Amino acid sequence: MRTSSSGPQQGFYVCGTTILRGQGVKRRIELGLLYSRSGSYSLISEACRTGALAAIAMVNADPALDVTFLPVERDPGGNIDAYGPLCEDIIRTTGARHVVGCVTSWSRKEVIPTVEKFGGTLWYAVPYEGFEASDHVVYTHACPNQHLLPLLDWVMPAHGCRAYLIGSNYIWGWEMNRLARERITTAGGEVTGERYLPIGSHEVGRMIEELRFTRPDFILNSLIGASSYEFLAAYRALGAEDAHFRPETCPVLSCNLTECELPALGPSAEGLVAAGPYFRGVTGWPGAGQFGSSHEAAAYSAVRELARLLSHREGAEGLPLSHLLAGDTGAGIVDPETHHTVLPVIIARVKDGAFQPIKQLGAVAGDPYLSRGRMAPVAPMLRVVS
Amino acid sequence: MKRRSIRIPNLGNARAHILHRPHPTVQALTRQLTAIGLVVNQSWPELGAEALAADYIFFDADMGHDAMFPWEAGQPPVPMVALIGSEAPGRIEWSLKAGAHAQLLKPVGDSGAYSALIIARNAFDAQKALSAEIADLKRRLEDRQTVVRAVTLLAARGKTEADAYAQLRQMAMAWRISFEDAATRIVAAQGAGKDADDRPRRG
Repeated sequence: MRTSSSGPQQGFYVCGTTILRGQGVKRRIELGLLYSRSGSYSLISEACRTGALAAIAMVNADPALDVTFLPVERDPGGNIDAYGPLCEDIIRTTGARHVVGCVTSWSRKEVIPTVEKFGGTLWYAVPYEGFEASDHVVYTHACPNQHLLPLLDWVMPAHGCRAYLIGSNYIWGWEMNRLARERITTAGGEVTGERYLPIGSHEVGRMIEELRFTRPDFILNSLIGASSYEFLAAYRALGAEDAHFRPETCPVLSCNLTECELPALGPSAEGLVAAGPYFRGVTGWPGAGQFGSSHEAAAYSAVRELARLLSHREGAEGLPLSHLLAGDTGAGIVDPETHHTVLPVIIARVKDGAFQPIKQLGAVAGDPYLSRGRMAPVAPMLRVVS
Repeated sequence: MKRRSIRIPNLGNARAHILHRPHPTVQALTRQLTAIGLVVNQSWPELGAEALAADYIFFDADMGHDAMFPWEAGQPPVPMVALIGSEAPGRIEWSLKAGAHAQLLKPVGDSGAYSALIIARNAFDAQKALSAEIADLKRRLEDRQTVVRAVTLLAARGKTEADAYAQLRQMAMAWRISFEDAATRIVAAQGAGKDADDRPRRG
C-alpha cells in the first residue's frame, strides 16, 4: 500500500470525466492536498500524503464508485503562515472544495477560518488534543479519549503515578499536558515537572537534568519532530547511565508517535509506548493492516469516506460538509454531531524496531469535549472496507 | 485576596436554553452546543418554564427586555450569554443589566460557544462567591458594636482589654462559632443575667 503515483490509474479523460475501460462514466473531482513536504514534521506529512494518494489511486480504479479524484497539491514547506493562503488558493483557483491536510493543530487552526469562509472542508488525519468540533472539519485520527486517557489508565497501575510532562511549545503540547495533569492529580498522582521546547529546538539538556533529579515513574512526550528525536536519544543515553531511566521502569509515552518516525529514531525508540488506532499489521481499521502507520491509515480512511459520500450524488462535491453528511444514505464513519470517528484504541510498545500491541481496547467513539462518557463502547464496526 | 481556581466544567448533558427567534444563528449555536455535548432548547419570545431547569441561558440582546426573564432584573440563577448583533451602547447596557456573564457576536458561525460557556460559568461562580463573601463581611461589620460590648463585659471582670479579646477568641474557637457570634452570645447571656459559659457545649 505504498504508492507515490497520483491521478487516475486507468482510463482516460474526456471533458472533466474519465471513462474507465468497460465501466460507466466517472465524475472527475479535484481534491486538495495540503501537506508540508519539508520542515520539522515532514515524516508525518509524508505518511499522511502516502495514505491519501493510495486511497485516491484505489478510488480511481474502483468501478463501484462513479468518481475519480484529481489531486491538487500545495506545499506549505513547514511554514505556519503559508497554510491559510495556500488553502485559500486551492479553494479559489481550483474546483476542489475538500482539502486533506495539516499536521500540527496550529496549522489546522490557521486553515479553519479559510474553509469556513469559502464553504470548504478540511479532512484532518492526525491525532490531536480535542476540544474542537468545527462544522468544516472531519477528524479521522484520534482525540484524547482515544489516545491519552486510555494510555494514562494503562500506565498508572503499571508503573506509578509520578509523571514528567514535556511538549513542543504550541497547543498540542499545552493541552495534552493540561489534561494529563488533571487526570494524574485526580488519581492521586503527582507531576514532577512540565517543560516545553520551541518547535525544532534541540535544547533537551534541561529536561534530562530535571529527570535525573525528580526520578518520575513515566514521561509523557508531546514533543514533535526534531525535538522529540533529540530527547529520545538523550533519554536512551540517560538510561545507559542510570538504570531507573530504562523503559521497563520509567517508560516514555506518546500519543502521536507512529511507524513513520521510527526510521528517524533508530534504537532510541526501543521500549517507547504509544497509543493509536492502528499499528502496522493490526487488521480491522481501516482495512486489512497493510498501512505503514496510523497517519497513513487515517488519511486513507478520509479519502475513501469522501469518495463514498460523493459517489452517485451528482453535484455533491460542491456541498458544504453538513449538507453532504445530512444527505448520506449509507453507513458513514463521520459522527454528524462532532465530525469525529469511531476508532480502535491500541497501546503498543516498540520492540526490535516495530510496535507490538500490549493492550487493545476495541472501538471507541471520538468524544472531543470529553462530555459523552469516555470509553463508552460502541457496536463493532461492521462496514466492509475493500 | 487569593485568586479562585478556574474550573473547566464537564458539559456532558448540561442544558442550554436559547432565547431567540428561529434564525440561522440559533441553528449554528445549536450545532456547536450539541457537538460539545449539551442538550439544547429554544424559545421565543418568553423563556418558558423549562428554561428554569437550564444550566446556561443564551439570550437575544437585540430584541430582549426585562419581562422575558422570570426573575428579578439582573439576578439570573444561572450563567447568561448575550447574543449581540447590534453593538449599540443601549443594547450592551441592557445586556449587562440583565446579568450577561459572557457574549457571542451574531452572526454565530463555527466557533465561540465553548469559550462563552466556560467564561460565563467562571464569571457566574466568581460573582456568586463574591456576593456571599460580601454579605458575610457586611454582617460582621454590623456586629462590630456587639464585639466591643462583649469585650467590655469580659474586661469588666478584671481583665485587660487585650486579654478579654483573646478570651473571646478562645470562646469562639471552643464553641466552634464565629468571633461575632460568640460576642452576640456573651452580650445576650449578660442581658439574661447568666454566664455564657453555662450554656451546654456543642459536639
